[in-house]
Amino acid sequence: MTNHWCDIQHSDCIMIVGSNAAENHPISFKWITKAIEEHGATLINIDPRFTRSSSKAHIYARIRSGTDIAFFGGMIKWVLDDMEEHLDDPDYYNRTYLVEYTNAAFLVDPEFLTAADGDGKFSGFVPGSDPRFGSYDTSTWKYQTDADGIPRKDPTLRSPHCVFQLLKRQYERYTPEMVCGVTGTDQETFLEVCETYARLTGPVGKSGTIMYAMGTTQHTHGTQNIRSYAILQLLLANIGVAGGGINALRGESNVQGSTDHALLFHILPGYLTPPKAPELTLQDHLDGRLAAFATADPKSASWWLNYPKYFVSLLKSWYGDNATEANDFGYEWLPKIDPAKNYSHIALFEAMAAGEITGLFCWGQNPAVGGPNSFAERQALQNLEWLVSVDLWETETCAFWQEPGLDPADVQTEVFALPAACSFEKEGSIINSGRWSQWRWQALEPPGDARPDMDIVNELMLRVIELYEEEGGVVPEPITMLRWRGWYDADPLPRGAASLVDLVSREINGWAEAEILNEDGSVQYEDGQLVSSFGHLKADGSTSSSNWLYTNSYTEADGNKQSRRDNVDVHPAGIGLYSNWAWCWPLNRRIIYNRAAVDLDGNPWDEEDFVIRWTGDGWEGDVPDGGWPPMSMEGTRYPFIMKPEGFARVFGPGLKDGPFPEHYEPLESPIVNPLSGTQNNPAIVVWRPEEIGSPEEYPIVCSTYRVTEHWQAGQMTRNLPWLVELMPQMFVEMSEELAAELDVANADLVTVESMRGQISAVAIVTKRFKPMQLNGRVVHQIGVPWHWGFQGLCVGDSANRLSPHVGDANTMIPEFKAFLVRVRKGGV
Amino acid sequence: MSNAVLVDLNRCMGCRACQVACKAWNDNPGEVTLCLGCYDNPPYLSGDTWSLIRFSEVEDASERLHWVFAKWQCMHCEHPACVSACPVSALEKLEDGPVVYHANKCIGCRYCMMACPFQVPKVTWEDRLPLIRKCTFCADRQSEDMEPACVKACPTDALMFGERDALIAEARARIAAGPERYVDHIYGEAEAGGTSWLYLSPVPFEQLGFPAVGTEPAPALSDAVAVYGTPSMLVGVAALLGGIYWVTKRRAEVQREEEG
Repeated sequence: MTNHWCDIQHSDCIMIVGSNAAENHPISFKWITKAIEEHGATLINIDPRFTRSSSKAHIYARIRSGTDIAFFGGMIKWVLDDMEEHLDDPDYYNRTYLVEYTNAAFLVDPEFLTAADGDGKFSGFVPGSDPRFGSYDTSTWKYQTDADGIPRKDPTLRSPHCVFQLLKRQYERYTPEMVCGVTGTDQETFLEVCETYARLTGPVGKSGTIMYAMGTTQHTHGTQNIRSYAILQLLLANIGVAGGGINALRGESNVQGSTDHALLFHILPGYLTPPKAPELTLQDHLDGRLAAFATADPKSASWWLNYPKYFVSLLKSWYGDNATEANDFGYEWLPKIDPAKNYSHIALFEAMAAGEITGLFCWGQNPAVGGPNSFAERQALQNLEWLVSVDLWETETCAFWQEPGLDPADVQTEVFALPAACSFEKEGSIINSGRWSQWRWQALEPPGDARPDMDIVNELMLRVIELYEEEGGVVPEPITMLRWRGWYDADPLPRGAASLVDLVSREINGWAEAEILNEDGSVQYEDGQLVSSFGHLKADGSTSSSNWLYTNSYTEADGNKQSRRDNVDVHPAGIGLYSNWAWCWPLNRRIIYNRAAVDLDGNPWDEEDFVIRWTGDGWEGDVPDGGWPPMSMEGTRYPFIMKPEGFARVFGPGLKDGPFPEHYEPLESPIVNPLSGTQNNPAIVVWRPEEIGSPEEYPIVCSTYRVTEHWQAGQMTRNLPWLVELMPQMFVEMSEELAAELDVANADLVTVESMRGQISAVAIVTKRFKPMQLNGRVVHQIGVPWHWGFQGLCVGDSANRLSPHVGDANTMIPEFKAFLVRVRKGGV
Repeated sequence: MSNAVLVDLNRCMGCRACQVACKAWNDNPGEVTLCLGCYDNPPYLSGDTWSLIRFSEVEDASERLHWVFAKWQCMHCEHPACVSACPVSALEKLEDGPVVYHANKCIGCRYCMMACPFQVPKVTWEDRLPLIRKCTFCADRQSEDMEPACVKACPTDALMFGERDALIAEARARIAAGPERYVDHIYGEAEAGGTSWLYLSPVPFEQLGFPAVGTEPAPALSDAVAVYGTPSMLVGVAALLGGIYWVTKRRAEVQREEEG
């Protein structure tokens, strides 16, 4: 989240889209309810099905799954058209914000063409072996620059090459008639959403939030879905302000932590970049990153220019004294990514299916239920020589060789089950969607042999290191050079740590690894002292930090700030930041991009709920996004400091599938794309073309989702009787109209089939689903929860037997939310 | 001064944390259930389920769909019919609101079940020694100055615990502040002579299956049963003696069960 949970109360209009917040993030409704009842806020919900969240909404708009970009493209067009008349009127829009803080006024390369000019493709498309898919040459996706290399701008927004005009060109096709023919929304409701959201959140001083989750991301164009929300929020000046933002409701309580600390293939901790194989030296790697963040504009901070300090501090944290300037701080020991390879979840399972990967650690994850095309993934597990499952229960993944119908004698995989402690049985930090890192203490002893994950990792690695030290190996250094043996098993633990988890938390924050002097020669840090700000990290090896974003979370002065529990709101406007409760990255900044919340003189757009304001000699309120003076003063910097140009991106050239979001149909879709001749996102990777179903055979749109009563792949909830009684069986929800067509009565057993497989489920026939009219054609949508499997107290077919092995062009997140099925009465 | 809970169906989003909290606090087991073509489960109150959420899909006159989630449990009447109907005072209305059950006094006659206008009390048929079971309004927690477990668990303050008159005033204020969001009716303010559980709703209560019990205190009926029915019981001496024997034996068994 750019903002945080308590901040939702300040929104004038809350839009929940691609999320069922009431069901999956119930606590969010504490703040939504407050916004509605105490501040008169309006709640809009856009969703294919009428959910528990919809039940609380003032406006509910039904949308066909996978058509967010059509819907939001239509909203963007509505706002752009409306701006023709009202852009200069602060009672409608914030022109200053648009021109001074976003790249709307930037001039783009004249050779750049929008998707409106390329039949659904942007300039630079290079088709692959299947001409429908390929990649982009992005050389035209860039700004025009002046003689000094600074981007050229047209503050009048009239140049045909400025981003604002290109945006108009891109979305001129997205008329209400076109949008509703794609999304299935009724036009009156669509227009009501446009007008309500623009009028309530567009005026200077007003704000609106967009709350999204996996309904947005789990598409072949998931990243661009989010981009379409971001563009709308920028047009309406809703980023950086209280009650605004782009707010990702993370799907697990600690998913924010898992991405911050890089449990993903495409990042290192703190969103650093994993080196690629051709980057042979540290300098190669750093030069590449610095080139990407280079700016000629003296008013742009381009914060990522600090990248070398964070990267070298990470290497120092991992390799300790073994990392020296002479050996590139151990850069050589880091694993490198093969640029031609994909290391995402789908790709890993394809590699297992192909026999390329023969061993798997499955840590707190249950892909036999949660993975896309789960039947194929269960088959891939059979190709493994060994599998280690670390979990609270014997999951379907751990027990894949016992799946009903499978003869265990046919499976040669050796399976190890390591019992893990659950969150209440161990101490550590957990990072919520609002970026708050909150410390938790152990409440119970884990049962039996169960142990905290950190203990399991530590002991495993200690033994692996011992083996490498004793037996050598082809390249043992990446293992043996780690600061591990003699460190995590030292007695007493180093640097005053009270426990292993305390040591790791200090290490994440970072230390001075040598005495560091101030410019006047006085001592800034003694060797081994905790560093108090990432501004103090160095690229010369004198500091370490295993995640620069977390530097300041644990300091010599204040100790472990994540354990703070002071619930007094110290913000001068009382906007509920609770800055002394736990700690939040970066530097305890509770609302990021907050320097966009003020005008050029540092006066807040919203005086009443201001986030920061300039007092004449400094900022008060939240921790400002950089302490520079306001934009009208000497020595200032642009507010969007993470971008090289310093401006928020309406035109976003950094993605694989285009600088603007363009509507494409899901890989499996019931209709031909009415917006262009490009049916699917042309930048995706299609793994199993033979498994794509046609709308003739599989006419019904299907989406997977979760219910409040169960959790993810079910291992934690399908073993609890109190939750099992609430939601005891796998079910499928469908409209009364579809049920009538299929001759299905409520509570009948039905079979749902896709090209990948079939499942049985109990039918819930409901008014909450409705058939959709797409240009006169009726399209049905159904929905299935994905919690069930063959283990636990209540068992059922896994919905992911139906979902396809295809992912988003940028993130590879699977398309769980829109695929095609057919349904018939009776079980499998 | 009596305590009450105000249930605001406009705030409830059907997460059922209250339902689970009730089971957890009272250590009641989960029931074996089936999906019945809806989210409701277990479908009915029982000896093991004292509180549940009912899900209702209601289309209003403008065809706008409402999905309403209504918590259901003992209403803790101001003048409880179950208490009046009980011949041995096994049920008791406490001063601060809860209607509680004393298993050691219960003779198992189940008059309370018949008398309740809301059909709340359930009996544990499957037990060797069936007992009456229902929501206790967490009288045990209230006696320790804690709010009921369900209220504590509610993430949106859809359940608000407090003094009854104050909650009625709060309910009126909410209706006045949002007349378009609420029907002008506080269910439980007058129903059955008034109850400790009070409800606000966006749609008429009869569309949610709330019984139309009238405003007359239900004990008017059960008192009559007690007044005219009891003497006829007393005239049967043999029956009385047999009854005394049975009750004594049952109380001893209850005590053994509770101690065992």
